[in-house]
Amino acid sequence: MFNYQLPVAEWVQAFTDWLTQTFSGLFAFIQSVGNSLMGGVTDTLLFVPPIVMIILMTIAAFFISNKKWGLTVFTGLGLLFILNQGLWNDLMNTVTLVIVSSLVSIIIGVPVGIWMAKSSKAAAIINPILDFMQTMPSFVYLIPAVAFFGIGMVPGVFASVIFALPPTVRMTNLAIRQIPEELVEASDSFGSTSRQKLFKVELPLAKPTIFAGINQTIMLVLSMVVTASMIGAPGLGRGVLSALQHADIGAGFVSGIALVILAMIMDRFTQKLNQPTTAKVKKSAKEKKRHKIMTYAVLAGIVLLFAARFISSAMGVTKETVNLGYVQWDSEVASTNVAAEVLREMGYDVKMTPLDNAVLWQSVANGEVDASLSAWLPTTHGALYEQYKDKLVDLGPSLEGVQSGLVVPAYMDVNSIEDLSNQAGKKITGIEPGAGIMTTAQAAIDAYPNLKGWELISASTGAMNIELERAYQNKEDIVITGWSPHWLFSKYDLKYLEDSKKTMGEKESIHTLVRQGFDKDNAEVNAILDNFNWTEEDMESVMFAINEGDSPEKAAKAWIEENRDLVDSWKK
Amino acid sequence: MNKLEVKGLSKIFGKRQKQALEMVKQGQSKQEILQKTGATVGVYDANLEVKAGEIFVIMGLSGSGKSTLVRMLNRLIEPTSGEIYIDGKDISKMSEEELREVRRTKINMVFQNFGLFPHRTILENTEYGLEVRGVPKEEREKLAEQALRNSSLYDFKDQYPDQLSGGMQQRVGLARALANNPDILLMDEAFSALDPLIRREMQDELIELQAEQERTIIFITHDLNEALRIGDRIAIMANGQIMQIGTGEEILTNPANDFVREFVEDVDRSKVLTAQNIMTPALTTNIEIDGPNVALNRMKKEDVSMLLAVDRRRHLKGSLTAESAREARQNGQALVDVIDKNVQKVTPDTLVTDIFDLIYDSPTPLAVVDDKDRLVGVVIRGRVIAALSSNANA
Repeated sequence: MFNYQLPVAEWVQAFTDWLTQTFSGLFAFIQSVGNSLMGGVTDTLLFVPPIVMIILMTIAAFFISNKKWGLTVFTGLGLLFILNQGLWNDLMNTVTLVIVSSLVSIIIGVPVGIWMAKSSKAAAIINPILDFMQTMPSFVYLIPAVAFFGIGMVPGVFASVIFALPPTVRMTNLAIRQIPEELVEASDSFGSTSRQKLFKVELPLAKPTIFAGINQTIMLVLSMVVTASMIGAPGLGRGVLSALQHADIGAGFVSGIALVILAMIMDRFTQKLNQPTTAKVKKSAKEKKRHKIMTYAVLAGIVLLFAARFISSAMGVTKETVNLGYVQWDSEVASTNVAAEVLREMGYDVKMTPLDNAVLWQSVANGEVDASLSAWLPTTHGALYEQYKDKLVDLGPSLEGVQSGLVVPAYMDVNSIEDLSNQAGKKITGIEPGAGIMTTAQAAIDAYPNLKGWELISASTGAMNIELERAYQNKEDIVITGWSPHWLFSKYDLKYLEDSKKTMGEKESIHTLVRQGFDKDNAEVNAILDNFNWTEEDMESVMFAINEGDSPEKAAKAWIEENRDLVDSWKK
Repeated sequence: MNKLEVKGLSKIFGKRQKQALEMVKQGQSKQEILQKTGATVGVYDANLEVKAGEIFVIMGLSGSGKSTLVRMLNRLIEPTSGEIYIDGKDISKMSEEELREVRRTKINMVFQNFGLFPHRTILENTEYGLEVRGVPKEEREKLAEQALRNSSLYDFKDQYPDQLSGGMQQRVGLARALANNPDILLMDEAFSALDPLIRREMQDELIELQAEQERTIIFITHDLNEALRIGDRIAIMANGQIMQIGTGEEILTNPANDFVREFVEDVDRSKVLTAQNIMTPALTTNIEIDGPNVALNRMKKEDVSMLLAVDRRRHLKGSLTAESAREARQNGQALVDVIDKNVQKVTPDTLVTDIFDLIYDSPTPLAVVDDKDRLVGVVIRGRVIAALSSNANA
């Protein structure tokens, strides 16, 4: 009986599938409402010129901190730094994600906390759920989030809310339970209804503790920003994730510091708001009036801002948007940026969404993104192709003759996979676990008897590059999962290991995929993507420029200038 | 008609209440029941009648069930069984809405630790009962301000509770209840958290208030002296049961059972009274430091016409009257020249009966000194008489 494994994974999968299908209408509705809502918030935030926003925030910091200079100066300088680093758009996207997630958490969390405080039965049921929510690795929430809401901001909010909700619920429950019994009795003894008791006594007394919970929730949401960027949530997290995948310490730090600045500002703001108004001195009527006027002024300002934004966007020409999904491998960063720049030249509004490979395929299949230029076929992404081939359109190869396989430095004396015995500590250094090449590398380990006992280490593309560089400099053994075209081959002297069993695939092509119906919705772009093709040398030159420090956009533009004829030929 | 009537009221906390109720009927003790069933008997079979305008005191030691009993009267604690009639209506059967109406209009409560809302000003606390009743803001402010004026707290109306002393906070608690003009006032050890001096003041205030307003008051206390002072009738509780109900006189002269007798005796300890037991703190002047002005100021402040004179180490030197202090001020004399050195002294273990003879001849209080002639307190006449009279009863 111990040989029988409970099919828990299958059950969960079946249940999720059932949910996805049964409530697909609801999910789609939430997604579209959520997307337009959050898009609206972000656009409104971006509508304000950054400098004006920074000045407003600095003034707000000045008053919120009771006219102390520390927070004021920090807010001003911190935001200026973010603007200076070109992260303003990302910052505003992150702010939207944080605000919306926090609001949803509060709207759900506070009532649930109250319910827990009022009913011991509810508390007994909800508490273990909260434990579950808090300890489950946050990555797990991304999977159903994508299944329900696709990619983008909405699943980011969904995952963030699940991860960040518990402190608000717990602290609300605790706060209400901690109110002295005598005060509750006093309220009851005067004939308060439970509503009156809640709003006149319990919530005001519980407020400081509830605020502490909300503060924690906001901090947790901020920490989810990075994780959520894996499923396309825009914002500062993308910078961190991309830096991780390229092992780009500098860029990673800059995005990280921007997040820290944002976190500190939000933390100090919420804490200051929570402090009792100048130590219990009753506000004079004049002060109260001034407060009221200020609140109305702020509200009116926000409403005006929204109105102005919508009027201006209604008057402006709405460009057609093309959404390109990609994986943050160097090759795909190059090709997707080139395609994006070509489309931008033609007046399209191009959105680029970095995603995990498996999520990317799924997103093309269910129409979340319009196109992807990063399908390695037939072998590397064969499994994914089999899974989704009915739900997407393969426009054929954009680059032929690519290869992937196990790669070693030339100084190692092995030439084929069969030559491997106990080199490199019996480890193959790989990339992201979801990548196609990881599947084929595992297949190779299983297929070759001499690789028994070998281990495939998953990390990130950037981490693998660093490992290779270190091993190369020390002339140590290393086996990596490699593919070409790649600038690694021009930087180091590397060689593919012969693969007699062809488990890692023969020469492959990179294909362009589009969602179903894209040819009808946007025939022009569809045609360009269909025509898009270039050579290994072309791609490597872009990749090399990026690796030398150019921004992807700049490298793509430079390549387009040099290859104007080829690009023009795509447009026909 | 009785304002409030309670019939067979019981409260059992915890599980297996039926079994516990059976056991308590058989006369088993609280501890036994707790051990066998895990249930705690709060109150068992309480019966009482309170007349309109009466101050009815419920007293007993900690854990006797008096707070549980009073909380059942407005159903802050749901009774396990029994009936509670207010103006002839059984509130134990009332729906939530009816009960709320009774709480809003008929019966209000004052709490031991005042139960003031820390986030509301004094005025906002006072108008709370009116606010939940839906009285318009202007009217309820007027009523609350009047209630605060009656308690001389009007000037503090915009302060917060933690800015007030305990006595003031409790007066706010009382004003908050009275602002509603309830028929019945429940006071759960309302003065126990106050210091003795303020406590006495509050008792006086309550008696005065009662003389003006004729409210029905249920007063809980664990202090026999307080009960005797303010109570028209007293119920004594022990182990969740009412032992005896009667006037203070009846309870002192005719205790219903051994428990009440012990309880009453234990409180006044008359059989073994010594000077130590009945002395009060002495009001003194240090003649080595103080001059006549300081001494007179002190007398004025303490409302007395005489002080005991001591030196730096509290050795008794004599007594000082207001007249002689004034004389000293006029003649520019030092206090040491005008004090009366002839003061009656006793030791702390002198029996009350012996003191009686001494104090009869002495115009001044008796000084109680220790074996090193240091002043530890004084015995005033009233205390001796009180002690002796209860002695005579015993």
